[in-house]
Amino acid sequence: MTGLRAVAVIGGGIAGIQASLDLAERGFQVYLVERSPSIGGTMALLDKTFPTLDCAICILAPKMIEALRHPKIRLLTYSEATGLSGEAGDFKLRIRRRPRYVDEGRCTGCGTCASKCPTKVPDEYQMGMSQRKAIHVPFPQAVPLVYTIDDKSCIHLTRGGCGLCEKVCEAKAINFDQKAEEMEVNVLGIVVATGLTPWDPTPLKEYGYHRFRDVVTAMELERMITATGPTEGKLLRPSGLGHPKRIAFIQCIGSRDLSKGLPYCSAVCCMHATKEAILVKEHEPGAEVTIFYTDLRAFGKGFRDFANRARDEYGISYVRAKPAEIRENKNRSLSFWYENTQTGEIAEANADLLVLCTALTPNPDNAALAKTLGLELDDNGFFRHPHSVLLPTSTTREGVYVCGYAQGPKDIPDSIAEASGASALLAVVGRGRP
Amino acid sequence: MVGLRYAFFLGCWIHSELYPLEMATREVLPRFGVELVDVPGFSCCGYPLRSMNVASMLYLSSRNIALAEAEGLDLFPLCNGCHASISEVKHILDNDPEIRGRINDELSIEGLRYRGTARIRHILQVLSEDVGAEKISASVDRRMRGFRVAPHYGCHAIRPSFVGRPEDAEDPKVLDGLVRAIGATVEYYPERLDCCGSSLGVADIEAALRVAGRKLQAISVNGFDAATTVCPFCYKMLDGRQDVAKKVVGDMGISVPVFYFMQLLGLAMGIEPRRLGLHLNQSPVDKAIAKMEAVVS
Repeated sequence: MTGLRAVAVIGGGIAGIQASLDLAERGFQVYLVERSPSIGGTMALLDKTFPTLDCAICILAPKMIEALRHPKIRLLTYSEATGLSGEAGDFKLRIRRRPRYVDEGRCTGCGTCASKCPTKVPDEYQMGMSQRKAIHVPFPQAVPLVYTIDDKSCIHLTRGGCGLCEKVCEAKAINFDQKAEEMEVNVLGIVVATGLTPWDPTPLKEYGYHRFRDVVTAMELERMITATGPTEGKLLRPSGLGHPKRIAFIQCIGSRDLSKGLPYCSAVCCMHATKEAILVKEHEPGAEVTIFYTDLRAFGKGFRDFANRARDEYGISYVRAKPAEIRENKNRSLSFWYENTQTGEIAEANADLLVLCTALTPNPDNAALAKTLGLELDDNGFFRHPHSVLLPTSTTREGVYVCGYAQGPKDIPDSIAEASGASALLAVVGRGRP
Repeated sequence: MVGLRYAFFLGCWIHSELYPLEMATREVLPRFGVELVDVPGFSCCGYPLRSMNVASMLYLSSRNIALAEAEGLDLFPLCNGCHASISEVKHILDNDPEIRGRINDELSIEGLRYRGTARIRHILQVLSEDVGAEKISASVDRRMRGFRVAPHYGCHAIRPSFVGRPEDAEDPKVLDGLVRAIGATVEYYPERLDCCGSSLGVADIEAALRVAGRKLQAISVNGFDAATTVCPFCYKMLDGRQDVAKKVVGDMGISVPVFYFMQLLGLAMGIEPRRLGLHLNQSPVDKAIAKMEAVVS
């Protein structure tokens, strides 16, 4: 027992934010380490959440602000954990803060720099469907609301010259000489909440992703239908052929796929598709919307009711089938054959927009982080536990806990519950009983 | 151009019925410096025994490979079916030492041995990898310009992926590249992966012809000048059986010139049609040849 009252949380998505708030409220000094320029994680990309259709950013942003303003939380965004020594109760965590080339203390977030920046690159936040500038904030509600210069595309940083942002910044916040900073914090323990990454369905060539323009992923559709998306909420076919009238969702793209995908169920896609289908219906009430599912996993609280409403109130069709080969017709519509496994019928379907509900994977950088922190991963890249039934939020290193999608496939409410659980266990370490 | 020597394996069907395939291949490939070595003693590829006596199939395929290996050559089966079967057997032997040992015991009676050193080359690989699209492009004239060709890949060339096939099962591209290399136009069409029907031929010939008829209809509807394939089975269904297939689907308007790809390549090189066996094609290739010739004359 060292009397130490500090902890670290790695990953600033909804799970990491919740763990940070819980620990800060218990009086711990929290270092919240987030690799990207803003906290918010995957939830910040979502339009609505299931099963209540809450606006995702509207319920997330207050928590993000709370994390920013909390006197016991220090946000270390654009930062990565680089080493860990010591033991539970007395860890030394090394953190590398990448240079933003913008002084966090001076930037007012006014955005004049971005309006003058001449360099455009695909916008990750919009799944590459629109462009952002080299100096950017990832999304309007970013926390902290501080601009970051992308050193891979900035003209000044890659080949010299330009410097327009520096000229127009009234706050004198631009600093091209900024260097990476190494720091070390002394913490009792760590909560890992590194979240998820949507699986890229390109290897499943039968679905024509990247070959046919009107084949999109569920995450892309999420941005297409949201008001802050690349089309400002107008649901349009990427091929430029107007509003889609027939929308089909295909479930389990890469999930539960023993040949080319991942063996596990990604846990949220049935409900995610149901939610998106409802949103599509709200955008295009006359549209024909069909969800082709493997078996509808509506297991959570309120989930079955939600799916029933989708079917009965919104007129969304559920067909138990796994279409295989997608074809693009001359008029750019998409067709495919499928076997309805409830009736045994073989039928053909046509769609103007095809949505692939892809698998979700744990963060691909977990392998590197596990090495840094001395943790183990399971075969699918989730963190391994000393006992998977009785110690589901523990890792193989004492004093290090895990929550959210990094722990295993789950939705937002479960991630939040688990974050509170993991932080409670970490608080026990603080009382001298690891 | 040196070193492109293969043990040339014809199988049964090309020998006995589909002469144009052998004619065109023997006419065209030597012009790229390819030497097709006829190895004495080749037998059946083994595929016809696959569902009755696996051991015999394994034995026959590996015997053919062993004969090529004894000559120090890669094996080049011209038939898609033979290539798939021999590739599958090679996959089994290379991954199962016990089966390999048993097969080698049998082969030793003739003084042969399966070593696993010979590659099993597919015509698509010979053309696209060994000869190369650049050399092909350099050897053709302008007659294919604007000529729209529907590629038909055939199942053996794309599956099963795990034994190593020359084309991707879901998004084949190699044949497309070769059609482009001869100066013709190739376009995606929705039915491009549809079956020729051949595999149903023994069980239900009418169903097989219906499948072939639909495929030909699709190629017609998409406005192609011709179709091309590297598979003897598909060639037979789409070319030789086109007349009867169109009766089965009740569409007498179908009129698709079907070329074995080697024939198309030979024409693009200016080789006389008869030397490519084109007088033996039964689909209306003459109109397509006339169209090409109009470009160069």
